[in-house]
Amino acid sequence: MSRPSSLAYLLPELVRTLLARRVTVSFPFEPLEQPVYFRGKVIVQSELCRGCGLCVRDCPAFALELEREGGGRFQLVHYRDRCAYCGQCADSCPQGAIALVSEFVPPTPRRETLTQVIVERDAGG
Amino acid sequence: MISEENVLELTSILFAILIFPGFGFLFVCALGFQWIDRWVVAHLQGRIGPPWFQPLADFIKLMAKEDMLPIGAHERACALLPMVSLAAVLTVALYVPVGGHVVGAFEGDLIVVLVLLSLPAVAYFLAGWLSASVFSVVGGSRALLQYFAYEVPFLMALSGPAILSGSWSISRIAALQSQTVWMVLVQPVGFLLAFVGLIGKLKRSPFDIPKAKSEIGAGPLTEFSGRKLALWHLSLHTKTVVGIFLLVDVFLGGSGGSPTIWGALTFGAKSLLILLALSVAGVLYARLRIDQLTHVGWRVLAPLALLQILFVIWIGA
Amino acid sequence: MSRMTIPIGPQHPALKEPVSFLLTVEGERIVESALRIGYVHRGLERILQNRNYVQNVHVAERVCGICSHAHTTAYCQGVEALLGLDVSPRALYLRTLLCELERIHSHLLWVGVLAEHIGFTTIFMYAWRDREIALDIMEELSGGRVAHAVNVIGGVRIDVSQAQVHAILARLDELERQIGTFLDVIRHERTFQARTRGVGHLSAEQVRRYCVVGPVARASGVDVDMRRDAPYAAYDRLSFQVITADEGDVWARAMVRALETVESLHMCRQLLIGLPDGAPSLFKKGHSDGAPSLFKKGHSDGALAARAPRRVPPGEAVSRCEAPRGELIYYIRSDGSDRPARIKIRTPTLTTLMTLPDQLRDIHTADVPAVLAGVDLCIACADR
Repeated sequence: MSRPSSLAYLLPELVRTLLARRVTVSFPFEPLEQPVYFRGKVIVQSELCRGCGLCVRDCPAFALELEREGGGRFQLVHYRDRCAYCGQCADSCPQGAIALVSEFVPPTPRRETLTQVIVERDAGG
Repeated sequence: MISEENVLELTSILFAILIFPGFGFLFVCALGFQWIDRWVVAHLQGRIGPPWFQPLADFIKLMAKEDMLPIGAHERACALLPMVSLAAVLTVALYVPVGGHVVGAFEGDLIVVLVLLSLPAVAYFLAGWLSASVFSVVGGSRALLQYFAYEVPFLMALSGPAILSGSWSISRIAALQSQTVWMVLVQPVGFLLAFVGLIGKLKRSPFDIPKAKSEIGAGPLTEFSGRKLALWHLSLHTKTVVGIFLLVDVFLGGSGGSPTIWGALTFGAKSLLILLALSVAGVLYARLRIDQLTHVGWRVLAPLALLQILFVIWIGA
Repeated sequence: MSRMTIPIGPQHPALKEPVSFLLTVEGERIVESALRIGYVHRGLERILQNRNYVQNVHVAERVCGICSHAHTTAYCQGVEALLGLDVSPRALYLRTLLCELERIHSHLLWVGVLAEHIGFTTIFMYAWRDREIALDIMEELSGGRVAHAVNVIGGVRIDVSQAQVHAILARLDELERQIGTFLDVIRHERTFQARTRGVGHLSAEQVRRYCVVGPVARASGVDVDMRRDAPYAAYDRLSFQVITADEGDVWARAMVRALETVESLHMCRQLLIGLPDGAPSLFKKGHSDGAPSLFKKGHSDGALAARAPRRVPPGEAVSRCEAPRGELIYYIRSDGSDRPARIKIRTPTLTTLMTLPDQLRDIHTADVPAVLAGVDLCIACADR
């Protein structure tokens, strides 16, 4: 299928590209939809969380922090600005409480909104 | 005594210089041709290209940006050079008929046009030399080498139609073609050489060696920014327009002899055809090296141009 | 003629990543060059010592963007050797599949970059358009276009269903047709050859002296390929050719990489068609009929089984892998705790960087981008 060398070698390929679909689009002003397997926002099913701290130990970006206040009370804080969205916390959790949904976490100039208390357990939880 | 005819004549000349076919028209054409070129190149590469107002937006943005030069650059000269380049190109536009309309024509204006069209190249080289940056100096010397490589074939190719029509006025050459036959049919090699020379003159791919992005930044214009750069770009794009019009007039019969709407439409169609060919030529090839370009220029293009001139002289006799 | 010093870098349109060449030129010929690296040194080997083995999988991935999967493969193989784990065949096949897809995407990226540097913008656009096919396949498999995060110690954390296999095979056919275009251009297009033939020549003797690896070595006639010489993952079960060339210039490297891309395509097909049954990871039940199970923990496959042991017994391991740019070596020393005592990474770009002063001597200034693109520098890998 190899054509011999010629002076305008790329011309047939140019024609083929013109007849095919374009691969770029105009700037999308509405938010894009992510595919279902995209590693996005970290969510936790609070009732499953035991406060064991394995996710904290295994996070490579130190984006999770567990503050134990004694008596079965603890808080799990997730720093979205540090998070690398690698999914290791979801893998490490023995309860399967953490999941990464396909929601994109957009940047924001207000950094404090990216710190989220994702599990808050009072005594007896 | 200023009579009514004088005032009318003055207004019509001012209209011709400032609006059509002068500066205003050229400005719109420069932006329009740039957009068409970018649109065609984009679609050939599988993209959709910028919106129609992109060249205008680029121009306005550059005019509003900060304008600075490095220490050691010649401030005054660098401020004057883009204006010299733009002035040369706009002066050329006075003598190149657009759709049959021309501001001023005289016997020998082809030579004046060709001389004036080399002024921007000299200004480009000087800009590189005087703006005190390693990249611009290298780019400037490349620009000069490239100028010698394409200018000789270009001049000889454009002299062919002049010799054949027995006149050195562009308007006459264009008008004569509507009575006889298009020059491109008689001297196709000359047209090809003029076309290739135009690519070199406009520093378009594959001859965009002086401003080879991946090698030397932006070549001679590396240190320019703001209004100076806006004027440089404007002069380059106006040179594109004027160069295309020149080729249409000299080789493709101009507006076909009639300064009416029909003539304007044919002129426009021919110009767009050449622009399309320029865009496709830019997309087809990789950039040549400067020594390869001089090799091609002196060993292939110049002899062909010489043969073409001899052929023209022979059939003219 | 007087001499000038042209600084290429650390910021320059010819460079993807910051590295500095100070070229001394006389007219248009380069007399000598001085190389400076270290602009993206992040101290990753030290960072790897401060985190445990599980965290380090993700840190190793971020050594480089283009060859991220090769780094995690080498790392996980090393730790699995220290732990004495035998990874399941299905996991090995999936790991190899991502390795080859990454090679395809890296080589297509490289073709585009080389074309852009010699002024052939059209091929750049076409190559990156076709690279999207490979990236989409990788995103569908792993959830990320560049940061795959597929490897875990003990296997992989993704799985693929039969329907997905068929869809991917169809797209691979399309990709093969497109790569045929690039092969034709490299073989026959005159301006491409004018800019790449005879440029940046390296002899086989120079290659051996500088210990160059990867496509650069193979383009000079030195026949080294970790996939055949020291098979890892599933490579001992695949049949493929190692592509070499003799000219040793940028054109030969382009040919080698283009043909390697075609070989990788064939390997991907073999892997997908011959995917063995079983679990994708030692510690997880597999299911071959659902979407990647990454986000459905606790729902579809029940509770996770135990993971790999956290503490690694003391020992040393050397793990080698054929990254898209050549042989990648990971040396891991463990001291019995859950953090490595020392991890040393030898990346392939380090070797090719050493040849650049030789290649950059006595060439035109205009050939510098072609030479730099031809060796396919990955400075992030080299600086770590």
